Order: sequence, then C-alpha cells, then structure tokens
Amino acid sequence: MTTPLFRKILVANRGEIACRVMRTLAEMDIASVAIHHRVEARARHVQMADEAVEITGETPVAAHLDIEQIVAAARACGADAIHPGYGFLSENARFAEAVAAAGITFIGPDAATISLMGDKISARNFAEVNGVAVAPSVMPTDDLDVFVARAKSIGFPLLIKAAAGGGGKGMSIVRSAGDLAEAARIAASEAQRYFGDGRVYAETYVERPRHIEVQVLGDGEGGAIHLFERECSVQRRFQKIIEEAPAARLEPGLREAICQSAVRLASAAKYRNAGTVEYILGADGRFFFLEMNTRLQVEHPVTEMITGLDLVRAQIELAAGKGLSLAQSDVRANGHAIECRICAEDPDRDFLPETGQVQYLGVPEEAWLRFESALDQAQKVTADFDPMLAKLVIHGKDRQEAVDRSIGALDDLALLGIKTNIDYLARVLDHGAFRAGELHTGFVSEHGGALASPEIPAAMLPQVLAAAALGFHEFQELALGTPQPYAAIGGWRN
Amino acid sequence: MGISLSLDDKVHHVTILRRHPHLVLVIDGEEHEITRLPGSGDGRGIMSIGGHEVAFARTTLGDRQIVRLGGRTFDVSLVDPFSKGGAAGGAQNVLKAPMPGSVIAVHRQPGDKVVRGEPLITIESMKLQTALPAPRDGVVSTVLRTEGETFEKEEVIATLEPETEDA
Repeated sequence: MTTPLFRKILVANRGEIACRVMRTLAEMDIASVAIHHRVEARARHVQMADEAVEITGETPVAAHLDIEQIVAAARACGADAIHPGYGFLSENARFAEAVAAAGITFIGPDAATISLMGDKISARNFAEVNGVAVAPSVMPTDDLDVFVARAKSIGFPLLIKAAAGGGGKGMSIVRSAGDLAEAARIAASEAQRYFGDGRVYAETYVERPRHIEVQVLGDGEGGAIHLFERECSVQRRFQKIIEEAPAARLEPGLREAICQSAVRLASAAKYRNAGTVEYILGADGRFFFLEMNTRLQVEHPVTEMITGLDLVRAQIELAAGKGLSLAQSDVRANGHAIECRICAEDPDRDFLPETGQVQYLGVPEEAWLRFESALDQAQKVTADFDPMLAKLVIHGKDRQEAVDRSIGALDDLALLGIKTNIDYLARVLDHGAFRAGELHTGFVSEHGGALASPEIPAAMLPQVLAAAALGFHEFQELALGTPQPYAAIGGWRN
Repeated sequence: MGISLSLDDKVHHVTILRRHPHLVLVIDGEEHEITRLPGSGDGRGIMSIGGHEVAFARTTLGDRQIVRLGGRTFDVSLVDPFSKGGAAGGAQNVLKAPMPGSVIAVHRQPGDKVVRGEPLITIESMKLQTALPAPRDGVVSTVLRTEGETFEKEEVIATLEPETEDA
C-alpha cells in the first residue's frame, strides 16, 4: 500500500458534486471534510464526510462564497488540500491564491491560469496567439457608442456576451443594426449586476451552432492529453440539460482536429488539472474557441463512462504533482454515454424553477447507470441553491442503446413531490431529431411544440385516476369494503 | 359512493360499483375491473386494471396524489365535493407568483389596459428573470408588490379589474 497523496481534503462545495468527490476520496483512503451552512446541516454531503464544519453567512450561498472562512476551516481541521468542485469558488483566482498562501494545495490550476481563462477576452487572445481558432469579434471599450459602431462592422448576426460572464447571463443574439445599441446596453447592465463588471464584447454568431467541448488533463509542465469530446448542444436558458460522449455524427478528422486544438491550448497554458475547452461548431465544420473551464465539469461522468477513468482521482494526482498517469495512446473510448440533468423546474412554463419537498424517491439500479445526487427522501428543495437536483448518467454500447436505456431509466425514475423535467428529458431523447443526432443549441426552442406535454392517452387516463383514487386512504377503505357506515364518511360522498 | 378528481383542469368521477368478486370502479361512466389492488401508502405499486398489469409510483400531498405511470407524472387533486368542480371564475383576475423571488420591474400600473400575454411584471427567482404575462385582456386593478420587494410562492402580486361582461 502506497501512502496517500493527501491525508485530508476539504471539499469546498455541496450537493451532488461534493458527494461525488468524497466517493473518490474514500476510495483513495483520504479523509474528507464537508462544509455546510446551518440550513443544510443534515445534507447528504455532510453525512458522507468524515468531518464537517459549519460555515456562516447571511445566505447559504454567501457562506459557500466566503473565501476567508473556508480557508480558515481548512486550516483548523488540518486539511492538506481543498477540492472546489464546480460553481461557487471553483474558478475564483483569489480563492486559489488564498488556499496556496495558507500552505494548502488547491486541487486545480494556479491562480494566474484561472485569471487568464476566467476573463473571456484574455482567454480568447491567448487562444488566438496559440493557434486555436476564435470567432471574429469586437473587443469592449469604455464607450458603448464606439463599441456599437465597431460591432456593426463585423456583420450580423452577432452574439453579445459579458467579458466576465457565464451561464448565459448578459448574453443576447442581435440580428440587425437597429437592435444593437439597446442589446449592448442591457447586456452591460446585466453584466454589471451579475459579475460586477459591465464590459461586454460581440462576436460572429454561428447559426445552429453545436456545443462541443474537450476534456483535457494537464500536468502543469506543458504535458497535456485529451479524453475525447462531449456534446452539450441541448440547452435551455443557455444552460445544458443533456450531454453526451462522444458527440453524435462527428467526422473522425474533425473530432481529431478539435481534440488536438484543445490539447494545444492546455499545453500552451502549462495547464495543471482536469479542464474543459469549449467550442462552437458550425454546420460548415468550422469550430471556434468559446472558453476554457478550469475545473471539473457537471457533465464529467459521461467522459468517465466511456473512458473508464476517474477524473477526480486524476485531479488529485495532478495536484499532488504526480503528473499524467497515462499517455494519449492509452486513452480509449468505449461505447456511448448520456447525462440528463434532472432539475426542479416546469418545462411547460418556460423552465421556471420549482420548489417543494421530495416525497418519494425511487431510483432504478443498473450496472450501466449512475445516479448522481445529494437527494434524500423528504428533502426540501428551496430557492437557496441551483435547481439541479440530480444527474442520470447512462452507458450503452452505442448511441442508440444509450438513448434507449436513458429513456427507460427516466421512465423508471420516480422523484415525486416536486415538479421536475424528467418527462421532458425523455421526450427530448425520443424526438426524431435527437435520435438522428441533428443537434444544435437552439434544439429546445426549435422543437418546442413537439416537446410540450402531450395529451394523456385515453387508455392511460383510467389507470391514473384509479391509482390516484386508491391513494386516498378513505377511498381505499371504501374500496376494500371496510365495514363502516357510509354515512360516517361525510365529505367522501359525492 | 365516489369521488371527483381534477387532472389538468378537467374533473373526473370515480365511483365504486361493487367489491365482489373483484373491485369494479366506474371511471367517467365506464366500468373498470381491478383484479389486483395496489398496497396503500407512498411508493411503488402494481395494480391490474381492465386485464392490464400497471406499475406506478405514487405519493400523497394533502388533497393531491402525485402519480407516476407510463413514464409520466400526473398531479391529481381531490375536488371539494361542495364546489362545482370547474375552474374558479376569479383565477383569471389575479397574477400569482410562480416562485418565491423579488420584483425587478413593474411594466403596467393600475388603470392601464393590458392584452393577454403582455408582460406585467418582471420577477427574479434563483437568478433567473421571468416576465409574468397578463392572464387575459383587461385593466390592471392593483399592483401589490413594487420593484425590489420580495414575495413568496403563490402570493398574489397584481390583480386585474373583474370582467364587465359575463364570461
């Protein structure tokens, strides 16, 4: 038995990703420390951890963003590394710096790399000078009028984005010169509000773009490999809901070119950690650099499913300076994997977030299925955190089998008590265009009508009503013939 | 003896016709023989109805049953036996918050005419902005929450003047 790379790792996150990281820590014989706000003291990640530290803040989210407090917690419990998960502080250069300054290993790249890739403009410039294709664009200026004038010169349609942005905030598509000034103004004000940075930029908008991203691993010395690509084109509100690996219908030559481009970027940045280079791919086969995420991705399990690798383990080994444990030629893809993001939301009402309580959770179990969540029976889902409840990840020998298995697993999944997108996801997977791999980021709106909740089939209606009626205790007693005078049933007579 | 259930705004009637030798329910006027009864309580169950084995999952939420069957989730609610069972006439007069959140912008003021679907108020919930549309053509009566104010789910945040002509 070799000595563990770290003794104790604090997981600076919550929810499914904290649980996911802790699973690997347990396998590696590394003690885990959870952090939690008062409202989540009994959360799954707290129960899974070897130790737990309460953090305070005006809101739960504020507590999870409190750099000083989290670093102090790590020191106090003697953690020798911090894993940031995704979201929260995972791409915060100041956090990486504070962790390092405290003599603790940050499981991620160094602060300078986070800063470089965290700013869309510096990342773009870096990509461009290193031979990675970027879309024609207009950089921001302090003067919105100058910006608008320059943006007009590269032609329409244009995509306006926040320099410091992400997650679709401060982003809009502009199709004519008349709409540009107003769109830029709104984007700048949204960017200011969400990111504290009102700079926006504009770039050529690729019609019907596909979102293709490449998983890379870098050793921090310029050595880098890729673990193939993922396709994340099915999105709503600019956020992914279905991801798969490998991408559907991607020519081998194009796949190789995209993957090599990502390796070139990671290598040039002397990137250390697992990371993701995102691209948009046009129908003409041209692809442009979008951004690099310097952390574990929500959808990393699809890559793990096809490669058989554990990306959290790889992150920990790289952070410990062990370098890359495998060469590019050792990386093999096997079959096809699909991830569905289960969210508390109402697809029939523009995906508006929902709140409630999990009354019943029934998860199918199969060797080819991963259900990543921090959900428990009776769990309350509040507006405090992101509406993503769980991820259902499925492997199949090919895309068709993965799609069929995913639909079957979604059908079998019972998460009752909160409105979710489970049925909607199954309809997307079963749609002819999805099965044919005709994907682009506007898929959800293009097929909106066909994806809406269908009428209840006539044969199903009595089944539903019988199951519902018999669920009412009083009605079931009547149905079973409990000897009781009906007069006593009162309101149950109709 | 029976009950009325509401599903997708339609009211259905389920009554017990007989119990022997099998339970027979009359659902919306048609007889359905139940040869295998599901157990009680929350969770997964199997029932045989009209000769078909049907697997489902179910949970009780007060006067509602959430039923997952055939890969779909249904929200079935018990209709108050004393009510008429149709959609409440006043429902179209109020704008309710679909989520807890805060008001970002109020687009129409009391006295303003609005057409159905036109944004009345923009709210923000879980960092997402959503425009709440007017539920029908009409005139804004009151706006109960203004910019920056917060509200809970299902809270009424604006109302329309009652319709003058009979619907």
